[in-house]
Amino acid sequence: MKLKVNSLLKGMLMLFFAVAFANFTFAQRTITGTITDGGNGDPLISATVIVPGTGTGTITDFDGNYSLDVPAGTTQLEISYTGYATQTVDIGTSNVLDISLSSGQILEEIVVTGYGTKKAKEVTSAITSVKAEDFNKGAVQDPSQLLQGKVAGLNISRAGGDPNNGFQIRLRGVGTAGANASPLIVIDGVPGGELQSVDPNDIASIDVLKDGSASAIYGTRGAAGVILITTKTGVAGKTTVDYNGQAIFETVDRTVNVLDAAGYRAFGGGNDLGSSTDWFDELTRTGLSHTHSLSLSGGTKGTSYRVSGNYRDIQGAAITTGFQRINGRVNVTQKALNDRLVITGNLSTTTEDKQLGFDQAFRYATIYNPTSPVRDESQTQYDGYAQQVLFDYFNPVAIMEQNSNTETNRTLTSNIRGTYELVDGLKFGMFYSQQKENRSQARYYDKQSFFVGADRNGLAEQIDEEFSDQLFNMTLTYDVDLGGGNSLDLLAGYEYQKFENEGFGAQGGNFLTDAFGANNLGAAQDFANGLGNVFSYKDNNKLIAFFGRANLNVDDTYYVSASVRREGSSKFGRDERWGIFPGISAGIVLTKLADIPAFDNLKLRVGYGETGNPPRDSYLSQQRFGPTGNFFFNGNFVSSFGPISNPNPNLKWERKRDFNIGLDYALMDYRLNGAVEFFSNTTDDLLLNFPVPVPPNLFGSTFINIGEINSTGLEFTLNYDAINNSKMKWTSSLSWTSYLNNELVSLSDSDLGFDFGGSRDISNLGAPGQNDTPLIRIEEGADIGQLWGLVYEGISGDGAWIHADIDGNGTGGEASDRTVIGNGLPKGTLGWNNSFNFGAIDFNFFLRGTFGHDLINTFRAFYEAPNQIGSYNILASSDPALTDSPKFSSFHVEDASYLKLDNATIGYTLDVPEGNGFRNARIYLTVNNLFTITGYSGVDPQERLSDEGEDGANNDFGPLSPGIDRRNTYFSTRAFTVGVNLGF
Amino acid sequence: MKKFLFIKIMAVTLFLGVFNQSCTDLEEEVFSQVTVDNFFQSDDEFISALGAAYTTLYGMYGTPGVIGIQEISSRHLVVPTRGQDWDDGGHWRRLHQQEWTSEDPATNGAWGVLNGGVSTCNRLIFQFEQLNNPSTTPFLSELRALRAVYYYWLLDIYGNVPIVTAFDVEPSSITQSSRAEVYNFVESELTSALADVTSAKDGSTYGRVNRDVINTVLTKLYLNAEVYTGTAQWAKAAAAANAVIGTGNYALTGNYRDNFVTDNSGSSEFIFAIPYDKVFAGGFVTPAQTLHYGSQATFNLTFQPWNGWSTVEDFYNSYEEGDIRQANNHIVGPQFDTGGNRIEDSGAEPFDIDGPPLTFTPNINELGPNACRQCGARIGKYEFALGATENLDNDFPLFRYADILLMRAEALWRMNAGDAEALDLVNQIRTRAGLGAVSEITADLLLDERGHELFMEGHGRTDEIRFGRFTEARWAKDAQDNCKTLFPLPQSEIDANANFTQNPCY
Repeated sequence: MKLKVNSLLKGMLMLFFAVAFANFTFAQRTITGTITDGGNGDPLISATVIVPGTGTGTITDFDGNYSLDVPAGTTQLEISYTGYATQTVDIGTSNVLDISLSSGQILEEIVVTGYGTKKAKEVTSAITSVKAEDFNKGAVQDPSQLLQGKVAGLNISRAGGDPNNGFQIRLRGVGTAGANASPLIVIDGVPGGELQSVDPNDIASIDVLKDGSASAIYGTRGAAGVILITTKTGVAGKTTVDYNGQAIFETVDRTVNVLDAAGYRAFGGGNDLGSSTDWFDELTRTGLSHTHSLSLSGGTKGTSYRVSGNYRDIQGAAITTGFQRINGRVNVTQKALNDRLVITGNLSTTTEDKQLGFDQAFRYATIYNPTSPVRDESQTQYDGYAQQVLFDYFNPVAIMEQNSNTETNRTLTSNIRGTYELVDGLKFGMFYSQQKENRSQARYYDKQSFFVGADRNGLAEQIDEEFSDQLFNMTLTYDVDLGGGNSLDLLAGYEYQKFENEGFGAQGGNFLTDAFGANNLGAAQDFANGLGNVFSYKDNNKLIAFFGRANLNVDDTYYVSASVRREGSSKFGRDERWGIFPGISAGIVLTKLADIPAFDNLKLRVGYGETGNPPRDSYLSQQRFGPTGNFFFNGNFVSSFGPISNPNPNLKWERKRDFNIGLDYALMDYRLNGAVEFFSNTTDDLLLNFPVPVPPNLFGSTFINIGEINSTGLEFTLNYDAINNSKMKWTSSLSWTSYLNNELVSLSDSDLGFDFGGSRDISNLGAPGQNDTPLIRIEEGADIGQLWGLVYEGISGDGAWIHADIDGNGTGGEASDRTVIGNGLPKGTLGWNNSFNFGAIDFNFFLRGTFGHDLINTFRAFYEAPNQIGSYNILASSDPALTDSPKFSSFHVEDASYLKLDNATIGYTLDVPEGNGFRNARIYLTVNNLFTITGYSGVDPQERLSDEGEDGANNDFGPLSPGIDRRNTYFSTRAFTVGVNLGF
Repeated sequence: MKKFLFIKIMAVTLFLGVFNQSCTDLEEEVFSQVTVDNFFQSDDEFISALGAAYTTLYGMYGTPGVIGIQEISSRHLVVPTRGQDWDDGGHWRRLHQQEWTSEDPATNGAWGVLNGGVSTCNRLIFQFEQLNNPSTTPFLSELRALRAVYYYWLLDIYGNVPIVTAFDVEPSSITQSSRAEVYNFVESELTSALADVTSAKDGSTYGRVNRDVINTVLTKLYLNAEVYTGTAQWAKAAAAANAVIGTGNYALTGNYRDNFVTDNSGSSEFIFAIPYDKVFAGGFVTPAQTLHYGSQATFNLTFQPWNGWSTVEDFYNSYEEGDIRQANNHIVGPQFDTGGNRIEDSGAEPFDIDGPPLTFTPNINELGPNACRQCGARIGKYEFALGATENLDNDFPLFRYADILLMRAEALWRMNAGDAEALDLVNQIRTRAGLGAVSEITADLLLDERGHELFMEGHGRTDEIRFGRFTEARWAKDAQDNCKTLFPLPQSEIDANANFTQNPCY
């Protein structure tokens, strides 16, 4: 940890300690020396050494050495380093100055709080800050992966190894019914960004605002939590070039255990087609990927910069899937007017080409007849792919190879910030930012593809969309030293953000030739025949906010922070345009008040905050009309328009009120430290598309604010510097989260006249044969995530299912016999990291686990019944005694608790001789997902936090339907990475 | 220094002032949507709005929809469970066995379609009345009549339903009416609309309610009056049918098949048709419901069928020798692709009569769960055009002239078993079907005649109830109590409204 650079911190410290008036004289002298760890004497690389009150400074080299030309008259040097107390030392007359920093001063670390920063010791809310050196290692393509398991209370999961699939992120359980469940992403001060638009190599730190007292400053968008990304910046004084390169080998980890060809023949009842095919082998490969990242950073007295370029070429473990991403970023800071004016500019651009493949191929690879060959040249109508004609049954290799499904994303983000110090401590800042994302999707189904294409004689689809937003804000900050160790920091601001979305798409089939792919929709004869589809749309929305915050520090013993944001959104109804979101928190350092044995630091924190979550779409509060079909009028069809919504002038945000108690602790000379947090959240005014009677309403559902959700939990983190000497180091960090309660209190409101009716069963299992089979019960007054179904009791003598007679009417297995048969939400999550250093060798491993959640294994629910062997391959676990049709029950619900080795890295730092241009060089080997310990029999035991059904259709209750493992899950994968870090 | 600071603060304040104006405005800008502010202003938009009352009819044919429950609950159709296909919690088997529940999709689906129609009529009447524009006045009586047509089906299927005629009502004030009250409501609404609704029968009334549609629904209402109210109304039924016949607007087509071909729009027998269209008005999905997966190659379909709805074997066998309607209405035997090659079924079961080559057999081995995949005569009544999409282009006859003739015949026969006109009308239908004339009408003959003529037109259940045959034991089905002649109200309605009482049996 200490051997690494934290350039963000350096940048921050430069700003903090640079004072307006430099005291120039012309004579100079050169000071040299070594900066070391006060505990073990190890050199500290890239520690910052500056002359206080000037821009003059440097950083230490690989051996902890520095050399700095200081103006004559300089009396002091200031030395700072991540995790250590900043020291100011008198120079005296000597030109050699060796300094050792005392370790353990974690309290001085900088934490990003949104519209500002704080030192860790001043923090009174639940905020977790993760620095670059603590990020997850290895095959990381998405910034979410950097944090997986690192932050207590932050659940990040992605089932399967699809490189193009995003991660589901939830903070502190389920806090919404119909609004956005993922935290707000703020990238370099711009709220509402996409994590994928930042390359993981460019991130300096990620801060997570977990409780309402911290996130209230983000008002209507703070309720799901806030993730603040800070990108790396340049440091004045020394130019550095860094290169990181990786080669990644990715293979399939887990699939579904179906019969192989021999087993299929032995089972009997199937159609032996004469071949032996392992469809999983045919559909997968060893994905070979490589990534490159090059950055240049440095600066002079007034200017600092960082320029980086990243390239990733990723092959998925399934054939034809992958992506190529190229990303460039420039961060520049310029000071002027005696350093009172600071201008910062960021420019970032990303281009990503994705080969998405088709998720359905995984389902069909599982159920395709293992005695079918992959190719049968006599089936010329399917280009020689072997294809049996059955319902819901397609050659998976043909799906992937014959058709194409691609997406191109281009993102451009630019922003400029100016800060001017009006008088000492009073700063006025202005910020403008623009983000633009263009997304083009193109799909083509070949004329000879039995999957979709042959039906339509070739089918092409193209969708182009543009999402853009502009943000402008102004802030005024005033930092006052009240004397006597007391200080007050004030912030006031205004912010305006406007989002615009538009899109155009077309779909048409019936092509003369496959030559065009998806690139010539005009050639689709469907358009001439009236069968083509075209759509376009445009919408926008605006957010306007006024905000303020005050931080009071009384002698580093008592801290109080209060913030408020008054914010309005055009998405809200006319009568509820504006809301007020307050947050307040306080902390007491107990160890300052009394001498508590063994404890170096013990700080108690209490916070309360109110935050919001806005509707996902614009115009929901308005009475709108739309096409409801076509009406045959006088021999022609005319488009008939009817209501498609009801007006709701009172539509507003979901309101979350949360209460957090935390205790920060440090013992053993700060070598053991961490925090304990308890949270209790209540979200009401949930946004739901609520069914309403017609009449009196014009339309059958209205978006309203209704109901309440509660969640409580406990978080525990521990960092331990177990061994720290010149030969060996071992640090261990653990985070544990217990979800104590997550209850849907109500979804009714008698004042509004809306009655949910106690419960509703949602999330249909689906075709074939299991429509009208709900999997989830949403129930007022009960836990969220209830899995719902029949209770399995056995198989009768004649091979029929026996299901419990829950309603006691003498017959089991009826709809009225369904009951709660599990819960899809985790009870606890664990992350445990261990880092070791033995001289030049470093070793790190990270274990991650989730416990207490159940999953519905839909593969088993469909394909574990022998009577389908005539149509579909079945699971090897199928019971030959069963003759009944598949029928979902508790038999198919499994405890999916798991513990996995998420990543392990072994690295070797080369001894770089002085003067050959290299600053450092390291090679490493990382393995991701080496093993998973679980009793779950499906593809991936990781929690499914919401369900969008099999076809990805929108689910009004998405966040309330966790725990369903659908059939289209991409296989889980394991990756080996060989990497190199070079510094010049 | 102080003065300098003042200037700086002034500059900031001025700057804020400039932004202040535009930067607290949160009105929504609408681009690709129509809101209450910019709709309902021209004649074209009024017609477009009126259309919503008719587009509800596209849901009449559904899976199962209204037509489906009329056919599958009767002796005509069955949806067997073939392996896991069409198990769907057993509700298709329950529909055949008449053991449906108040939560089954069949119960909820038809209720939703029909009440959706009622509600849309009420909404448009309310909106047009508020608009008070001369262009929309003629729509009011048409909408009232269409609402009564929707109520006719509600009366037939659910019986004791709430009558709602206003739009701005409190849901809690809605009360349930008895079946007899609903009957009286439908009768009075239809008879009072007779004077106001156009008698024209031309392109402008195709697919819309005119006077002939009203008289046809009145015929059906009176013919079933004994079931609905306990009091028969045979004479009124005969008279209403005669009113349609007397217009001279309709004639039997020379060929039975002509009514069901792809381009059947404007058939001389159609009194009220749903103008389904593969592009503009989807929903008529018979080939998907009935054909085997492999049948895609027979018709070059642009989708893969679902292998479900099949004819009950006894019904298939009930046609007389020489009845051309048997071959018209059903698909049996070996199946070929468009090139004349036998279609191979790679999922053939041991008991499929000739193995992988696809052959539809009238016999179905069991209702489920292991009904064989090639079993069952399929629905062939409506032409499946080569290259058909999932949505047929054929129009669906809700009410057809042949039905009017048979209804008049039945009404006359009920009053006088030896009625000569009745015999003549029945024989007109038989002759076109390639059958010889009969000299006497019996109840069984009349029900069979209606079944064979009107198969898959949504009358099966109503007819069997009137003939007292609906609940009898049949293949894979026990005899049921007579209360099964009414469907239950959806459970959600019962739960939501304390005033509602569930129908007996449920």
